[in-house]
Amino acid sequence: MSYFRITLMRSGIGLPEKTQGVLKALGLRKRMTTVYYPVSQSVAGQIMRIKELVDVKEVKHAMTKDQMRAARRPDPGYYVERRGVEEMKEL
Amino acid sequence: MFGPFRLTNPLSGGLLWKIPWRLSSHQKYRHRNRLRAVDSVVSTLDRALARQGESMKKMDRWKVEMPTEQEMLPKDKYTVFDRKVKRYRKGIHKVPKWTKVSQRLNPPGF
Repeated sequence: MSYFRITLMRSGIGLPEKTQGVLKALGLRKRMTTVYYPVSQSVAGQIMRIKELVDVKEVKHAMTKDQMRAARRPDPGYYVERRGVEEMKEL
Repeated sequence: MFGPFRLTNPLSGGLLWKIPWRLSSHQKYRHRNRLRAVDSVVSTLDRALARQGESMKKMDRWKVEMPTEQEMLPKDKYTVFDRKVKRYRKGIHKVPKWTKVSQRLNPPGF
């Protein structure tokens, strides 16, 4: 099962109520918000309404909000060899 | 003399909003990119639905009626029909919200 990854690139300010309603229904409240929806006709129809405002990709798996956050996090620059807690247990 | 309320031609009453009659080359470039972005969204939707064996009436109509960015003539990309303008064409940047609407077709006969 594949998903649509929809990102709001351009805001819906100043557009007709119906267009803004579609954005709201899809959960796109602010620019650069990303939402995932399973591929279906009804979602595709909603995207057609807002095609000028969004970036759409078809992806294999949906990501949760926490996963998207973790993907954005930069590499910390270190890795943990041993933890002090485990050392203390051994003693 | 100075400051936000100085007397300039646009401020001293009347409508004097100077919008150039044609697009600059950079506006045209960005406009082409936007057209292509819309095309890519539509093709993504189409491919995703086709993979599931589904289709959509709206999509079928779009594919039949709407030309893609590459198929469009420069005339249609950068100008639109307007019955009130001499020779019936005006710059697309005069259309309200022109960067957020899809305006690609002409009325029959124009």
